[in-house]
This record gives sequence, structure tokens and C-alpha cells, in this order.
Amino acid sequence: MKRQKVTDPEKVSVKRKRKSPKEFFGEIGAILKEYTDKGYLRLSKLQKFIYKILAFLRSIPLAIARFFKNLGRGIKNAALAVAEEFKDVGRTFKNGDWKTKTSFLIMGFGNIARGQVLRGLLFLLFEIVFIVYMIVAGGYWLSMLPSLGKQGPTQSYDAVLDAYTTTYNDNSFKILLYGVLTIFFIVAFIYTWRLNIKQNKLAEQFLKSGKKLKSDKDDLHSMVDENFYKTLLALPLTGILVFTVMPIVFMILVAFTNYDGAHNGFSNNLFSWVGLDNFNTLLSWQSAGGGQSYSATFGEILAWTLIWAFLATFTNYFLGMFVAMMINKKGIRLKKMWRTILVMTVAIPQFISLLYVSKMFARNGLINLTLKDTLGWISQPLPFWEDPMWARASVILINVWIGIPYLMLITTGILMNIPADLYESARIDGANAWQQYTKITLPYMLFITGPYLLTSFTGNMNNFNVIYLLTGGAPTNPAASGAAGSVGYTDLLITWLFKITTGAESQYYLASVVGIMVFVVVALISLVVYNVLPSIKNEEDYQ
Amino acid sequence: MASVKLTNVKKIYDKNVVAVHDFNLEIKDKEFVVFVGPSGCGKSTTLRMIAGLEEISDGTIEIDGEVVNDLQPKDRGIAMVFQNYALYPHMSVYDNIAFSLRLKKVPEDVIYDKVTKAAETLGITEYLMRKPRALSGGQRQRVAIGRAMVRESKVFLMDEPLSNLDAKLRNQMRSEIILLRQKLNTTFIYVTHDQTEAMTLADRIVIMKDGLIMQVGSPDEVFDMPDNLFVAEFIGAPKMNIISTQLLCENGKYYVTPFGSKIPVDGDKGEILAKKNIKAGPVLLGVRPEHIDLSSGGENAIPCTLVVDEMMGSELHLHVDAEDEGGAVSRLIVRVPTIDIGKEERKALVAGAKLNITFESKAMHLFDPETEKNLLV
Amino acid sequence: MSNQKHHMGMKTLNRVSNSAIYILLIVISVIWLIPFVFIVLQSFRVESTYQVGYVIPQQWGLQNYINLWNSDFKRWYLNTFIIALAAAVFQTVIVLCMSYTLSRFRFKMRGPLMRFMLILGMFPGMLTMIILYRVLSDLGLTQANAVPGLILVSVASSGMGYYVSKGFFDTIPKSLDEAARVDGATRLQVLYKIILPLAKPIVIYTILTAFMGPWGDYVFARYVAFGTSAGYNVAVGMYSWLTNDQINNMYTTFCAGGVIVALPVTILFLCLQKYYVEGVTGGAVKG
Repeated sequence: MKRQKVTDPEKVSVKRKRKSPKEFFGEIGAILKEYTDKGYLRLSKLQKFIYKILAFLRSIPLAIARFFKNLGRGIKNAALAVAEEFKDVGRTFKNGDWKTKTSFLIMGFGNIARGQVLRGLLFLLFEIVFIVYMIVAGGYWLSMLPSLGKQGPTQSYDAVLDAYTTTYNDNSFKILLYGVLTIFFIVAFIYTWRLNIKQNKLAEQFLKSGKKLKSDKDDLHSMVDENFYKTLLALPLTGILVFTVMPIVFMILVAFTNYDGAHNGFSNNLFSWVGLDNFNTLLSWQSAGGGQSYSATFGEILAWTLIWAFLATFTNYFLGMFVAMMINKKGIRLKKMWRTILVMTVAIPQFISLLYVSKMFARNGLINLTLKDTLGWISQPLPFWEDPMWARASVILINVWIGIPYLMLITTGILMNIPADLYESARIDGANAWQQYTKITLPYMLFITGPYLLTSFTGNMNNFNVIYLLTGGAPTNPAASGAAGSVGYTDLLITWLFKITTGAESQYYLASVVGIMVFVVVALISLVVYNVLPSIKNEEDYQ
Repeated sequence: MASVKLTNVKKIYDKNVVAVHDFNLEIKDKEFVVFVGPSGCGKSTTLRMIAGLEEISDGTIEIDGEVVNDLQPKDRGIAMVFQNYALYPHMSVYDNIAFSLRLKKVPEDVIYDKVTKAAETLGITEYLMRKPRALSGGQRQRVAIGRAMVRESKVFLMDEPLSNLDAKLRNQMRSEIILLRQKLNTTFIYVTHDQTEAMTLADRIVIMKDGLIMQVGSPDEVFDMPDNLFVAEFIGAPKMNIISTQLLCENGKYYVTPFGSKIPVDGDKGEILAKKNIKAGPVLLGVRPEHIDLSSGGENAIPCTLVVDEMMGSELHLHVDAEDEGGAVSRLIVRVPTIDIGKEERKALVAGAKLNITFESKAMHLFDPETEKNLLV
Repeated sequence: MSNQKHHMGMKTLNRVSNSAIYILLIVISVIWLIPFVFIVLQSFRVESTYQVGYVIPQQWGLQNYINLWNSDFKRWYLNTFIIALAAAVFQTVIVLCMSYTLSRFRFKMRGPLMRFMLILGMFPGMLTMIILYRVLSDLGLTQANAVPGLILVSVASSGMGYYVSKGFFDTIPKSLDEAARVDGATRLQVLYKIILPLAKPIVIYTILTAFMGPWGDYVFARYVAFGTSAGYNVAVGMYSWLTNDQINNMYTTFCAGGVIVALPVTILFLCLQKYYVEGVTGGAVKG
């Protein structure tokens, strides 16, 4: 024990003389400029801390720069690859035999001619379907896409019925939807056509070198063997393509239109392309409809969303870990019971627990009534959901109540995986419980759960259920509400988005812009964290 | 019961990481070939390419004259034993061994005969109904071998099958593999990083490093005549002493001058040097620890200081420091049979003791310091 | 001896800290359980249907449960149950296909595919509701017919949630697949003869989470079934009971409904708790 005091060189040097501010920051600066292990190790604790913050800040632009560099390289490579494809198509046509050449027009011809009937027929079928679709419908949708429809609904007097009848003409919504689908279809066709060419080329090469082509039976068999992954992925990916990718593409496009309740593209007015107007509106400082500007509202909600996500993530994380450590502590009995009590609350559907608790804390809810009427401790109900600060604090506290059991489960598993000898050696080195926590448990946990924390953070940014079921965004923020709909102090971007689309004006275009902004924020945070995370970890090795 | 032929086989990961360069080898029917080398040398990758578990980037692999590049593992007529045994945890030992036969739709009574016969051969009959987790390491190893045996395949592949066993069990299983080989009488390809396993099991050893074949030869050949410095150091334990020294040529006679001595290179070795017309100059001299003798001094004896002595039982490993004219110190290992050392002598062998060592010309290996090739081959 | 004294000190210290932990754990357990105990108690309260300042009913009875039976709740419950059952079947199949493939196969598009899905996941899912609603309504799968529509939507994109089970599949040694392939199994046979029997915990975990999901799904169900009680699920239906104009009549009925909804799910969950814990601790973190 005594030995430690004498031989800690860092402490000795710190005590010996106090560094002047110039020296203090000069040393940090020198290492920042040119990273040397030795210099880092000689810094004082405070200097190390400052160094880390500075290094982190410095790495953000680097990470972003790296991202764009990679992006640039990716685009360049993609362009080169496309050029190579074109060249290869040309070469195949020049060098190919008549079967291959015919396949340029009649897809699958080469396959059928070479005995791979099944593949050939599928190619041919796809081509026929494509051509028929393009003639019957695709051409129309595509031609209407630039205008999103020319003629809205018209009314005409029907003499027989003695009434006005409405004729629905173009439908902007369908034009946009099917236009996008048609483009998807065309891309798929080009890809399949290319595949057909490539297969012809390969088949020719194969036959020339005396190898046998795969028969239909081989093809079918490969669906459960070497190509089994294609079979397995077919259904899930189709689902994702149709129900996620396509809608997202559609909604991104909506951000560039004036699609809303008054322009539903069908029964009242058509909607049309408006370029970047919606982004200008959201990001401009001009006041909207008499209230504050959209950008101010957006900024306020974004700020609260980030604060919420940060607090919700870390309160749950640390408290969950704390509970897990208590239950895991040696000598605590009934471990299973404590765990089951908490886990049980995971099972109960959130809408029940959240709605119930929300009403429990309401103005005339159980808590207030008990305190006021039954116990008489207060004369006025506590403003859990009426006062902005109360509401925000309550939301975070109740979220802890919801989140701890889950975090307790996750951290329990990891805690039990920390090698016991790490603690034993730390105890021999003289570490107390707190030091063991900060020097062993926490670094280990952060290392393992780093990616989880990130997803949890972004998940909380989009945590619709907790906010909507607890407060519905209340209390209302009068300054922010107005043209942007009713906005409350606890509204997250995601609940705001929901309100915009379900509100009276159904400003779909605005919701779409907000959605894109959520994506941008989430992507930026993820990008920075992913790029910075490893460097932080490396530095932690010095502790 | 088949030959295996690898022609210009390459494995390239991610377009630029080359795991195996241009591998050429012909394995004869019923031969026992061992791939040996340090980890990351490409030996397992090569085996996995033969098995069809790893795609071949370039070249061809033939089994029994048929190109198998595009065949699935199951269609190649191979059986394989994995390093971690890869027993199916949810199946009993019997089901594990019967698995491949059931997939082939072999009738159950035939399966029964085959599995029980294999189990008998391997001495695991009493564990047939157990699950793998109830078995010891050695028993699991036997089950893995049994599973491969019943496939009656043309080629038997083994990927470091003994490296998860403790030393004693490893020796036992090694001799059992020799017996198994005699019984099965088929082609074996065996991968290991342990040169002792390679030496004891192989008909031919393939020594690899960084994806390249360093030497192919029988155990005797690679031990006596290593093609290059790497093989010389890799084969044999403790490893060969390498001394950086000068080769002299005086009146057609060659000498080496380690640590200020002047030892003639005579006999066969001198003749080879003369025939190849090797010039005098710097050279790497290799001497195996067991070929160095302690002497009481005299001509060509090299004085040195004892640093560590390791008593191994039947023999003594002496780590000694010798100093050359320039004052540079080299550490050498000398291996002496315990029986050759008297009681008094043994007592004197303590750290700091002054010793003299000698070695003969026939024990010498000479390597070119630039190319690291053996000058005597 | 000083040594012994020190030892004794440690022991007492330990006892004190353990007692503190027990007290904390009891407090935590109470806080976590109390709202659920309250729901149950209030669901048996007969004397008033609104919120009051006490917990234990003055008059016990099943009136609230009878009200429940006479309301649309039956329909909502059935809707939710059908959705949950369908989700449990189809979602499990899709998630397992996806995660097994991404864990076991190394194909050219694997990396780009996983990155693409990561980026896709950064868009708020709610954004797609607007168009999906319009599409479903064109197909006639909204309002009263919301159930098939909700099943379709909840199942279709479930492949995106492959992380947890992929994490589990990654822990099954690949050499088992390889051994089986050498033994003569096709990839399909490897899946159902080797991997699935070993993946029992994650299969159960996936079924369980897929089944539990729809019971709490509010936002999309509200969007799709808007305004038509027959298409509601329990979450949307019961939410409407707690709006300002309904709450005074329906509060205790809500409590009774909560009990009926939570009971089967909780029992199922507690029975399969072991697998859930394995899934969460095994797969969730690795992601």
C-alpha cells in the first residue's frame, strides 16, 4: 500500500511544480500536432482529458472529410464499372456467335438454344411482361411524371340526373407512385438484359473450353445448395423493396412537391413539383403564418429531441447497469426473483403501462387526487403534464421506469462475461470498488456496448411510443404552434411529423422534409460516432 | 484411394491479399502428405480448397484425374476431420457418425453395421448413445475420425486434428493415426503447425511459408538436406543454430571461421562446394544442437560461457554464449545426452561456467546469406 | 492482530452494503410493480368509473369486465390476436431467412446490402405510412379491413430486423456447416438438420418478440384503421377510451382491458423468459 505513493511518477512530477498555462496547453498542442506516446503519457490527468476532447473535436472534420473522400472514390469506381459494362456488352456482341447476337433482341434465346430452357424461358417471359407493361401503362405514367398530371377533376352538369357530376381525370398521387415504379421496372429490365448478355458470353466460353453447361435440373438443385442464399433472400428483400425502399423514394420525392390536404392530387387539386421550396420554407427565418419561423420551431424541436435522446439513453444505460450490478453482486440472494420482477414489466405491452402511468400523473389522476384529497398534502394539483419543465422531467423519469429492465438484461450478460481475474488482479493492485468500476467495468462495458449505445440513441430520437402515449407532445408551445400545426414542449421530431400528417392541413410535403432532416441528423451522428469510436478506444488503452 | 493433383493453385482474398501463391503438387495414391508451416502460411487454406470449402482463385485441382474446381464438397469424394472436431452438438455419437450415410439414403441396417464397426476400430462403442458434450477431447477426436471413416472416401483430409489435445493425448492419438492409416489404406492430406507431427506421420512433408512451398520431401530429406534457411530452422527441435561467419577457400580447400576458429569443410561437403565452384565470402553456418559436442579444448574448439542449463531428462539443453573476434556475442544451444555427463561434470555446469564446443564437418549446413538457399544442395 | 481486525472490518462492511442493496432492490421492485398492481385493483372497482384518490376499491365487482364484453373490445382483441399470430409465423420465417443468410453466406452483394439496410433504417419508418396508407386503401385493406393490411405491412419489412438473430447465428461455429457439407448435405439440409435444431433459443425469441409486437402497436394501426372501430387493434381502441371526453366513463374499463391484454402475453413471456434473455444478451449487443 505504501509503495504505491512513492512510485507513482506522475503524481510526483505534478506536485513538483505547477505548470504555467502556456506550458500546460503547449504540451497538449505539441502532441496534437504530432502524436507521440511518450508525450501523452507525461501529461497530467487534466491535460489528458483536454487532449481527448480536442482530439475528438479534431477528428470530426477528418471523419467527414474521409466520408466524402470515400464517397468520391465510390462514385468514380462505379462510373468506371459502368463504362466497363458498356465495353463488355460491345465486345460480347462483336465476338459472340449468332445465338448470342439474337439474345440481344430476344432475351433468353441463347439459353434456350444451348439447352438451358428454364432460364431462357424466364428471361423471355420477363421481356414480354416488360414490353407489354410499357405499352399498356408504363409509357403513360412515365410521360406524366414531369408534370404530375395536367387535368384536375372537372364538374359537369348532367341533364338527366339534374346534378353536377365530378369527373376525375389525372391523379398526381398515382402518377408519382407508378412513375417511380416504372423507373424501378426499367432499371430491373436493364439489369436483367445485361445478365442475359453476360450469361450468353459465359455459356459460349464454357462450351468452347469443353465444359458442360448447367442443366435445368442443376439450376433447380442449386436453388437449395450453392444458390440457396438467393432463395432465402428473395422473399425478405422483395418485402423490403416494395414496403420500405419504394415508399422512402416516393416520400423523398414528395418533399419536392406541394402535396398536402388541399392538393391531394385527386379529388381537389393536383399537386406538382416545387423544387427546393419546401426546404427553403423549413430552413428560412421568415415567420410563418404570424407565428415564429419554421426554422425556429424546427430548431427547438430538434434541440429537445437531441437532449431527450441523450438523457434517455444514458440514464437508462447507467441506471440499468447499476441495477444489474446490484443483483449480480456476490452474496445477494434471490437473484432470479429480482430479475423476474423487472423482466415481467418488459412483457406488458407498452401502451398499457404508458397510458396508465400517463393518466396516473394527470391533473386529476391518481397521484394528484391522492396527494390533494386523500392525504391533503397539496392544495393545487402538481403540473406533471402542464408545465414544460415538469413534463420533460416526468417523461425522462418514466422512460427510466420503462427502460431499466431491458438494460438490466443486456448488461447482466456482459457483466458476467468480464473475466474475474481482471478484478482479482485489480484488487491485488489495491483498487477499491469505485476504481474497479471506472477502470475495469465501465471501459469494458463501453467497449462492448458502443454500437448498441449508438442504435439506442438514434432509436430514442425516434421513440414515438413513449412520448406520444405519455404526453401526446403536451404541453402546447404557443409560440411554435401555428402554421406548423400544434407543437408541444415534449414533441420530438417524429411525433411532430405524425401530427403534421394527421393534422387538419395534412402537410405531407412538410412531413417529408422533416423526415429527410431526421435522416440527415441520424446519419451525421452515426457517421461521426462510427468514425471516431475506434480512435477513442485506442486512446483508452493508455489509461 | 486416389491421387490428388494441384496445378498453379492460387488463393487471393479481396483482390490483393494473396494467401496461396501458385501451388503445384502431385499427391500419389495412398500417400500420406503433411502440410506444415507457421500459422498464416496458407496450409489450411490449401486444404480447404481441396475440400471445396474455399473457392479457388486460379489453377486447377484434380482428384483421381477429374477436375473438381466447381464441384461441391460433397461431390468430391473426400472426408475431413476438423480442428475443433465440428461434431453436431444436438446429435448422439451414433447419429453423428451415421449422418453422412443417412444423407446418402443408405439402409439403416447397413448404417448400423458400418457405424458399429468404425466405433469398434476406434474404441468408442460404449459412447455411441452419448452427446458430444459428454465426451473428453480425445473421445471427441475419435468420433470426428469415425465420422470421416464411414464415408469411405477417396481422400482423407485432416486439419490440425490434434492441436486441441493435451501433450500426452496428442502423442497417443498420433500413433493411432498411423495405425488408422494402415487400416484405411487411402490417401491422406494432413495439416499441422507441429513439425514433430509432420516428421512422424508423413511420407512426404510440404513445408510452407507465406503462401509459398519452401520444400517438398520425405522427413529424412527435409531434415538432412533443407533447401533453405527457413526449412532448416523450422524442422528439428530445438531449432538449428545459425552462425553468421566467413567461408574461406585456400588451395581448393574450404574452411569456415566461426568465433575465431578455422574449421575445414571436408568430405562430401567440400566436394560439393568445389563442384559448384562456390566463392569465398560471408556465409550462414547451420549446426543442429545435437551435432555439437562438449570438448575439453584443443584445435578448433570454440570457447563459450554457459547461460542457462535445461534438464530435459534424457538430455541436457545448454544455452551458451560465444564471442567472435569483433566482440559480438551469439547464443547457441547444445544438446547433450545426460548419460554422457559424469556427476562431477554435471555439478560444474552452472551459469557462468566456461565450456568448449566442437562440431564436425558432416554436421554443417551452409546457406547463402542473400538468397538463404542451401549451398550444399 | 491487526490483520484479523481488518478482515472483520471487511465482513461488516460487506454486510452493511448488502443490506443497503436489499433495501434498494425492494424499493425498486415496489416501484416497478405498483402500477400493475393498481391496474388490477382498479379493474375490480365498481363504485366509480373515473380516476379517484385511492387504490383499493370500496366496492368490488366484475362490472368493468362485463362492460368490456359488451363493447367493441372483443373485436379489437380478436384483430390483435390474429395480427400477432400471423406476425409470429411470417415474421419469424422472414427474419430467420435473412439473418441465416447474412450470417452464413459470403456473396458479393452482402456488404453493400447490409450497409444499404443500415442507411434505410435511418429514415423514420413513419414517413412511409402516408403512401402505404394510400396504397392499402386502394387495395381495400384499410378501415374495417385493416387486419390483413396491418399484417402485410408489419411482415413485409421485417427482414430489416435481422441483427439480433444474426448475432446468434454468428455464435454457431461455421465448421459445423462445413462438416455437414463435406458429409454430403446441401445448404438447405445444413439449415434444417444442423442449424435450426441448434438455434432453438433464437427461433423462440423471434417468435416471441414478433407475437408481442402487435399488442403494443399504436401508430400504424391508428393510421390504417382511423375512424372505424371494427378495424382497431387493442392499442388504438383502448387509447380512444382515455381521451378527455371518454375517460370519466371508461377509465376502469380501460384497467380491465389492460389486465385482459397483459395477462396472456405476460404468462407466455414468463414461460419463455429463458429464451428471451438468451436472445437479448446473446444477439442484441453484437448487432
